[in-house]
Amino acid sequence: MSAAPILQVRNLRAAFRTHHFGVRRDVPAVDDISFDVRANEIYGLAGESSSGKTTLIKTIAGVIKPPLELVGGSARFAFLPDCESLAQASPAAVAAIRWSKLAYIMQGSMNVLNPVRRIGKTFEDFALRHIGSAGDFQQRVEAHLQRVRLEPSVLRSYPHELSGGMRQRVTIALATICAPDFIIADEPTTALDVIVQKDVLAMMRDIQGAMGASILFVTHDMGVHAALTDRLGIMYAGRLVEEAPTDVIFRGALHPYTRHLIASLPRIGDRSERKSLTGVPPNLANAPPGCRFHPRCPLAVDICRVQAPAMTELATQHRVACHVVTGEAA
Amino acid sequence: MGDYIRYAMKRLGQFVLVVFIGVNLAYVITHATPIDPVEQSISASTSFGNAAPEAIAEMRRSLEELYGLKGSWSEQYLAFWSRVIRGDFGPSMSAFPTPVSSLIARAMPWTIGLLVTSTIITWALGNYLGALAGYHQRSRALKAFGLAAMGLHPVPYYIVALVLLIVFGYVWPILPISGGAAMNMPQGWNWPYVASVLKHSALPALSLILIGLGSWFLGMRSLVSNIITDDHVVYAEIGGVDRRRILRSYVMRNALAPQLTGLAMSLGGIFNGAVITEKVFGYPGVGTLLVDAVYAGDYGLVLGVTTVSIVGVSLGVLIIDLIYPLIDPRVQVD
Repeated sequence: MSAAPILQVRNLRAAFRTHHFGVRRDVPAVDDISFDVRANEIYGLAGESSSGKTTLIKTIAGVIKPPLELVGGSARFAFLPDCESLAQASPAAVAAIRWSKLAYIMQGSMNVLNPVRRIGKTFEDFALRHIGSAGDFQQRVEAHLQRVRLEPSVLRSYPHELSGGMRQRVTIALATICAPDFIIADEPTTALDVIVQKDVLAMMRDIQGAMGASILFVTHDMGVHAALTDRLGIMYAGRLVEEAPTDVIFRGALHPYTRHLIASLPRIGDRSERKSLTGVPPNLANAPPGCRFHPRCPLAVDICRVQAPAMTELATQHRVACHVVTGEAA
Repeated sequence: MGDYIRYAMKRLGQFVLVVFIGVNLAYVITHATPIDPVEQSISASTSFGNAAPEAIAEMRRSLEELYGLKGSWSEQYLAFWSRVIRGDFGPSMSAFPTPVSSLIARAMPWTIGLLVTSTIITWALGNYLGALAGYHQRSRALKAFGLAAMGLHPVPYYIVALVLLIVFGYVWPILPISGGAAMNMPQGWNWPYVASVLKHSALPALSLILIGLGSWFLGMRSLVSNIITDDHVVYAEIGGVDRRRILRSYVMRNALAPQLTGLAMSLGGIFNGAVITEKVFGYPGVGTLLVDAVYAGDYGLVLGVTTVSIVGVSLGVLIIDLIYPLIDPRVQVD
């Protein structure tokens, strides 16, 4: 587990920036986030809706468009060491690593295939320039489709002729066809029923094991994280609040938000009522000062209302951003 | 394939039904006009002298037969259909005794040549520029073009046509302002004649293109600016797919289906001729023929032009329906 990180994110900030009548407004959707993803690792990002998960990975993948802007910090990939972030890299450099080194599985990935293009053509569009000649390519794609248990005939189909689960598997095959070093997966299983979801997760596990890719896996579904990820980062309101190996998070979370998140999960045989946190996640256009969780936090003390807590490593591989837990509050 | 044949038969049935209803309407409307072609012909030919009553009665009988006005209402109706199916609309009244069908056949090549060319140029150019403008939203040149298109769009057609006439006919007289070809030239497939036809069609075609370009441009631009935010386009960009490929196969290809329907509708519509264009530029097409026929009360000719136009529009829609499943694979053929 001590391999050099394949992705280093340092103090990354991104904001939705709007100009109206000369007044600039920033909505800091990604605020001062730092973490590493190691080679061969599945790193999970969890957090409720609108906690900035998708914005974070879009910034990392360099697919941000106005009004979303990179404000500061870096997200450096090991295969592009000279480049602070993909959002600032030259288009040619980005085009060269797209799909051969870095692949992406989009949110709602059942609907990301061009409806008027045969699947085989889509494979050619994405991957042919990275892999060999046309004849070779056909065989390689067919062999790869078998890994996700799809017939070669799907290459001649249009997306609407396939079921949702099949399209999901097509996108997973599409993301892995070039054996990329790094795969960003944004809620790839959220729209699937649990049976298909289990299959898809097992498949991603298998392919990742066989090809040795790192995956940055984003979902709000803690059950999926438990089943798939090696390490887990918890986001709240645009900030990373806790990071630890997945089993540590589930057994011994430290941050009050994470503890609530874990406590809210149903357990077989446990019939006690699940408590909901009071309040709602903050509006980032007008975020609370200090720790963004303090208005809802049962442990909040004075310093939480003034000063944002920094990520502090409390145990090996276990970082938390909370004044109370790290003892700074005293 | 069986599915497709069943689909094609269904569309063909619809085509026949639409043509039948349309031609019936045209028949009823022209026959409801107060003009009696027989009486008009008789009064025209007897206005210069006296004719014997027997001769007039004889004349009336033969004219009634000629115009399909003999017998009871139902007999006339059946005779009308049997003649329509043979492509016979009787003689023209205003150009007696030339048959309506040969008048239409003479005017049709002019109209088709002018309108098919200008419609296709307008469609292709408008859609291509519109797609580029929707895709490259920051391009200054395309933004300027969009403004120009929007500005020109509401200008009435006849103003544009007249301005072109004044500019290229009088101020800077480089193009002929009237007619389909030079008068004193033998018709035929030789270069001087074809060149003369092209030269004469330049102004009417330009006026049609100028006025038609804007709506295709604006329509395509808004279609494309929606499509570029679609997941499959965003995904192709994340996938590093070649930009030109994205524009062609992911953006324009998806916008094409609705625009093609529009093209079929306007191609079908050319069989009426472009009435104002042909009048302003003195073009010898179906539009001129139709207007002259209406003024002259030549209802055989009106009915003939209307029928051809009904068949034309329906045929355009039929052809698009038949090729639509090939353009958009999601269209179910059952």
